[in-house]
Amino acid sequence: MSMALFSSPPLHFPSLSPPKPHLTHKPFLPLPLKKPFFISPKSIDDASSSAAVSIEQEKDEGSNGVLLNSNGSSPAVVAGAPVTETEEVRKFQDARWVGGTWDLKKFEKDGKVHWDSVIDAEVRRRKWLEDNPESSSNEDPVLFDTSIIPWWAWMKRFHLPEAERLNGRAAMIGFFMAYFVDSLTDIGLVDQMGNFFCKTLLFVAVAGVLLIRKNEDLETIKKLLEETTFYDKQWQASWKDETSSSSKDS
Amino acid sequence: MASIALKTFIGLRQSSPENNSIKISKSLPTNHTHRRLRINASKSSPRVTGRNLRVAVIGGGPAGGAAAETLAKGGIETFLIERKMDNCKPCGGAIPLCMVGEFDLPLDIIDRKVTKMKMISPSNVAVDIGQTLKPHEYIGMVRREVLDAYLRDRAAEAGASVLNGLFLRMDMPKAPNSPYVLHYTSYDSKTNGAGEKCTLEVDAVIGADGANSRVAKSINAGDYEYAIAFQERIRISDDKMKYYENLAEMYVGDDVSPDFYGWVFPKCDHVAVGTGTVTHKADIKKFQLATRLRADSKITGGKIIRVEAHPIPEHPRPRRLQDRVALVGDAAGYVTKCSGEGIYFAAKSGRMCAEAIVEGSENGKRMVDESDLRKYLEKWDKTYWPTYKVLDILQKVFYRSNPAREAFVEMCADEYVQKMTFDSYLYKKVAPGNPIEDLKLAVNTIGSLVRANALRREMDKLSV
Repeated sequence: MSMALFSSPPLHFPSLSPPKPHLTHKPFLPLPLKKPFFISPKSIDDASSSAAVSIEQEKDEGSNGVLLNSNGSSPAVVAGAPVTETEEVRKFQDARWVGGTWDLKKFEKDGKVHWDSVIDAEVRRRKWLEDNPESSSNEDPVLFDTSIIPWWAWMKRFHLPEAERLNGRAAMIGFFMAYFVDSLTDIGLVDQMGNFFCKTLLFVAVAGVLLIRKNEDLETIKKLLEETTFYDKQWQASWKDETSSSSKDS
Repeated sequence: MASIALKTFIGLRQSSPENNSIKISKSLPTNHTHRRLRINASKSSPRVTGRNLRVAVIGGGPAGGAAAETLAKGGIETFLIERKMDNCKPCGGAIPLCMVGEFDLPLDIIDRKVTKMKMISPSNVAVDIGQTLKPHEYIGMVRREVLDAYLRDRAAEAGASVLNGLFLRMDMPKAPNSPYVLHYTSYDSKTNGAGEKCTLEVDAVIGADGANSRVAKSINAGDYEYAIAFQERIRISDDKMKYYENLAEMYVGDDVSPDFYGWVFPKCDHVAVGTGTVTHKADIKKFQLATRLRADSKITGGKIIRVEAHPIPEHPRPRRLQDRVALVGDAAGYVTKCSGEGIYFAAKSGRMCAEAIVEGSENGKRMVDESDLRKYLEKWDKTYWPTYKVLDILQKVFYRSNPAREAFVEMCADEYVQKMTFDSYLYKKVAPGNPIEDLKLAVNTIGSLVRANALRREMDKLSV
C-alpha cells in the first residue's frame, strides 16, 4: 500500500481502487479520512497485495501510453510478438533500451528522470533475460550499471516501506519492554535509560527487529551459520581421524 | 579477516622455497633442529639396510610427477605407475605464474599466455579484468598431456623408474615396517593390449591417482562431494580465434551453472567451452548448451572436436593418509572452490608430501611412519587452508544466486579488486591490502548486493 503510494504519481490516486474490496467488509468506518489509521497494521500483513497493486498500475500506465512505450510495457507484449521475429532476433527489445543502456531521456517526466520506471524497466529486462538467456556480444555490449540510479531512489522504493514496518515494531517492543520492566522492577522509564541491563535489552531488541523480519529468517540464519562452518568441518575431518585413531592405539 | 588469515600464509610461503633447497643439499642440520623441537619418529624407526627406502607413486599427473621427482632427487628409490602416458585430461589447464618459477617449467610448454579475462554476468554485463597486469605477468594455459609428460620425464631423469601399468590394489602390511605389496598390470612394450600381472614391494605409497583414486579406496579414505565438469573443445575460424588469442571468458548465471561458472578458455589451436556443477549434475547437458548459447556470437560456426567430462573434488577426503600411505592432488581433494583450480595445488602437494618423506627417512636411509607423513598434512593445511577458506566464502557469497552474481561482476570491474585477485592468483600470496580501499570495496560490494537483490525481489513479484 505504502509502496504503491511512493511508486506512483499522485494523479493516479483514483486507480488505487483495487484494494478497496479488502476494506468493504468493514462498513463501520464512515470516514474515509480515518481509514489509513485503522488499516495500517493490516497493510503490513498485506505487503504482497500492495505489490500486486503497484504492478497492476504500471501495466495501466503502459497501456495508457502515459509513461511507457507500448513496445516494452510488459514482458507479455514482448513474448506475444510474432514467433518468426523472436526466433530471428531472440534479443531483448525495448524502445527505451538504446545502445546497451536505458535511454534516460525517455524516462524523463517534468524535466526529471523518473527513476522508479527505470528500476521497473530493468526488472523486466532481467526477468526476460533469465527466461531467455541471450548471447553476449562484443559489438553490442551492455553498458547499463545499476549504480547510476541514485541511492535515494532505491531508498524511497525499497527501504522506506520496510523502514516504516521496522520502526513500528521497534517502537512497540520498546514500549512494552519499558512497561514490563517498570511494572516488575519499579524502575521508571528515565532510570531505565541509565541502566546497563536495560541498555543491553534495547540493543538486543533493535538487532532482533533488524535481523528477524519474517519467521523464516530464523531458519535462514541457522542455515547460514551451519553453512559457514561446513567447509571447516570437511577439512578438519582428517585431524579428527588422527585423534580418534591415536587414542585407540595408545 | 582475509588479511589476518593471509599474513600467516605469507610467512609460510616465503619459507617453503628455502626449505626444499636446504633439504636436498644438506638435510642433516635441519633434521637436528627438528629433533630437538619435537619427537622425531625417524630417530626411533629402524634403518633400511642394503638398499634405500622404496616409495611408489600411483598416478602420473602433476601431483605424481612432482612427487616422484622430489623423491628421486632426495635419494629414494621411486616407482611411478601410470597407465595412460598420453592422457589428455579434461581440464582448464590454467597455471599461475608462480608455478612456472617454482617448478622451473620451460616456456615452450605454455600454449598461451592469457592476459585478459572477461567476466559476463547473467544480464550480459561484461567486465574486462586484467588491465592491472604488469607486462611480464600472465596466466599460463597448458595442455595437460604436455605438462604431465614433461613432469614425468623430469622425474625419470632424476632417477625415478616410470612404469606403464594399471594399479589394481595393494596388500596392507601385516607387521609394522613390512612392505606394501602393490598389484598392477604392466603394459611395458612386450605385449600390446594384454597386460602382464605384476607385484611390487614398497615401503610407502603416495596416491596421486585423481578423483577416482584406487589408493584412496584401499585405505578407506572416504568419499568427497564432487562437481562434474563438462567441456567441449571447439575449433573455430581463425578470425574468431584471434579474439581469444590471449583472452579467457567466464560466464556466470543460473542458466550456465547454478553453483559454478561456464568458461571459454583458449587452447593451442581451439577453444574449450565448458561448465560445471555440484548440485544439478543431471542437468549438465542443459548448462553446457546454455554456455554455448551465451558465447554464441563468438564461437558460432565452430566444430566440436572433442567432448569430455570429469569429476572435480569439492573438499578433501575425510582421511588423507593412513600409516605409510598418503594422498595428494585430486585424490586427496585439493581443488579450490570458486575458481576450481587444481594443477598448482596438486603439484605442490605432491612435492610437499615427497619432501616430508625425504626428510623423515633422512634421504632414504630410515623407515618412515605415519608421523612423518603427518608433517606434510600439517604443513599443507597450515599453508593453504586460508586460501581454500577465502575461496569457499567467495563462492558461497557470490555464486549463490543471479543477483549475487551481478554484484560479483560489478565488484570485479573495480581495479583494486582486480589487482588483489590477480596478485593472489598468480603468486598464491596476498599483499596486505590498503585498509581504506578495503573499506570502500566492502561498502561498494554491499551496495551492489543490495541493489541486485532489490531488483530480484521485484522480479519475483512479476512472476507471481
